[in-house]
Amino acid sequence: MSGQDKSIWDTLENIPREVLYGILIVVFVFPMVYPLGLPVPISENVRKWYRTIDELPSGSVVLIDFGYSGGGEPELGPMAVAVYHHLFKKGGIKVICMSTSIEGPQLWDKAMAEIRPEQRYGAQYGVDYINIGYIAGTETAMAAVGKDLRATTSTEYKGNSLDQYSIMDGIVDATSFDLLICYTTGGDQSEGWVRQWFTVYETPYLCSVLAMMVPTMLPYQNAGQIVSLTSGAQAGEMESLVKMPARGIKSADVITLTHILCLIYVVVGNVAQIGKKSSGGGR
Amino acid sequence: MAILVTGRIFALAMLILIWIFILWNMEEAKKQLPSFRKLTGLDALPEMVGRAAEMNRPVHFTTGLGSLTTTVAPQLVAGLAVLAHVAELCVNYGVKIIYSVYQPQVMPIATELIKEAYVTAGKPEEFHAEESVRFLSDQQFAYASAVQGIAERERPAANIMIGPFYAESMLFAETFNRIGSIQLAGTARGYQIPFFAIICDYLLIGEEIYAAGAYLSKDAMQAGTIRGQDYGKAVALILIILGVLMTAVGSSFIVDLLGM
Amino acid sequence: MTVRKTIPVVIVFVVAVVVMMDYFLVLPPVSEAGKSWTSGAVTNIQNWGIILSAFALGFGAVNLFYFHSRHISRRTPGQWMYSLWLLIVIVIFTVIGVSMGATSDGYSWLYNASFFALSATVYSSLGFYMTSGLYRALRFKNLESGIFVVVGLVVLARNAPALTVYFPALGVWGSFISDVLTTSAQRGIMIGGALGAISLGIRTMTGRETGFLGKLTEEEKGGGAVA
Repeated sequence: MSGQDKSIWDTLENIPREVLYGILIVVFVFPMVYPLGLPVPISENVRKWYRTIDELPSGSVVLIDFGYSGGGEPELGPMAVAVYHHLFKKGGIKVICMSTSIEGPQLWDKAMAEIRPEQRYGAQYGVDYINIGYIAGTETAMAAVGKDLRATTSTEYKGNSLDQYSIMDGIVDATSFDLLICYTTGGDQSEGWVRQWFTVYETPYLCSVLAMMVPTMLPYQNAGQIVSLTSGAQAGEMESLVKMPARGIKSADVITLTHILCLIYVVVGNVAQIGKKSSGGGR
Repeated sequence: MAILVTGRIFALAMLILIWIFILWNMEEAKKQLPSFRKLTGLDALPEMVGRAAEMNRPVHFTTGLGSLTTTVAPQLVAGLAVLAHVAELCVNYGVKIIYSVYQPQVMPIATELIKEAYVTAGKPEEFHAEESVRFLSDQQFAYASAVQGIAERERPAANIMIGPFYAESMLFAETFNRIGSIQLAGTARGYQIPFFAIICDYLLIGEEIYAAGAYLSKDAMQAGTIRGQDYGKAVALILIILGVLMTAVGSSFIVDLLGM
Repeated sequence: MTVRKTIPVVIVFVVAVVVMMDYFLVLPPVSEAGKSWTSGAVTNIQNWGIILSAFALGFGAVNLFYFHSRHISRRTPGQWMYSLWLLIVIVIFTVIGVSMGATSDGYSWLYNASFFALSATVYSSLGFYMTSGLYRALRFKNLESGIFVVVGLVVLARNAPALTVYFPALGVWGSFISDVLTTSAQRGIMIGGALGAISLGIRTMTGRETGFLGKLTEEEKGGGAVA
């Protein structure tokens, strides 16, 4: 094709990547610097998640799996923080955290630094919440913890014996827990908990994954194996319910604008293709 | 006292039935090899390698993430089966093959597969393990970055991705597309199939990758396994249809049966 | 069957049977807590599995040292300096992790400043690749691609939070696409994937699948299957 006779349709049909990315960067950065305050509707799944935690009776024990890696932290971190805020605000709930991801303990520390449970809620480590650390083996770890937690690990994530923490009194296996929550970037974890805990012990299970994983995880929610499935991109909705606006709400504007930009790109590409065909420049 | 755990009886029965299907079909396949429907992506492999030969550029192959000891092992095994065939094609066409390794435990198997292709073709001296089989990293994004580096530096004419892929799938597909590679991708991880579908030239969806090894090698054991799996799928289909019909008329027979 | 193949296959078979028996059966003698004798055996097996998984992590580091040391010693052009840097970083992380603890402030700082930042950056680059992929690939070419475009546009619009406030119909259509169309397709893929896993399991248990054993001689492979 001759370069001299490029029509507007050719140009629009083959916008260079650099231009696409350049506009995308502007759309990313602008709402982060100047928040637009676009509306964030709260979806039914987020409300269901919120209700599930809200309806926990005092004294309930929750197991949280920090199963995501550093790459997924910007998306899942805000959701994890918002849910922790909810659990601590509610009070009377014992929260035991473990990790099936090797980066889990570092990411948990990051979340705790943001939440500040002692300062904000008067929560005490070892009494109200604890982290029993990374347990290798993914599904093997899940099965082992469900079968006999004390046989699987005897220390918390810094190496101190679990026996010295009152929160672990009476915690034996999966039947000791009233709710399971998992944040993960890997399908092995999100599906593994269905196989190893829900199927065996019928523990109610809340799962938060990357947005692109939601379609594949939906069958489990529709079959009732997951109580509520959310994506990290819905962290803004959770923050609204919990009334702790943070990174999630800030990202909601970015998510809206970038999705609209992608829509525009697809439409422009197709209009250009159609325009080129109708103007006879089909080759 | 009950021996069988309530709620798992039907699952046990189905598991045993599927085993019987598979084992029986593996034996039957030795007498007569089952036929397969056309898998366009696999039929295009000679064309892809031929293109690489014309352009004097290598072929890149990856089986993604996952190890032989995890739940995604079947996909990795399927990828290795295709690797064996692609290695044979590459040797016959005189094309360099680059296999990017994520898990160190896969290296000796892959090395052996590719070496065998060279030896069978009578060209053992042309096999260079370090060039053909490259262990990059067992960390996801380090591996992804390294593969992108291979794409940019060596500019393979063809990229074949069969196995368990995670978030790096889009990185690979888009990078290789940008450098003009023709691509065949296949995975049974539902999360990544859409990304391959919109970028790659040829696609194997879900259990088509399991059939790939049998389709290419005409191995009786693999072919029999695929047929046995198809029998299992037929049973699942029948149960789904019966379940839908019975639920529609208000009967919970199938639901109760599945919950036994 | 050779010893090198027989012993691992027997181990696999016995372990698999014990784990499956524990899941499906309650075999006497049964304890007061209602657990059969297989329960204790499975707990031990699972704990051994965890130990082996953790060991595999260390094995990965050993392999990295081995492969990259070879690049350094051979001064592989365009590679050896990156290998050297990799090994230096591994040593730094190891020294700090062992001396100060993997949950110490120093290790956390190192992790946050390097590995976490790099992971998040590379993962974030996906957004750019997806955008250019969408622009280039979602085009009306035929009926199937047309459906792809329409569904893609609806789902994109529905996943923009603010748009569903102004166009509530997007929520309804998007829910239909995800809860009906996508879910049913995913179920089919999952059933196929599960059958693949079951078939690999039975082949492994019966010694027909030897990939996990590494390199075997022809005799050890048992002559393979006949086409």
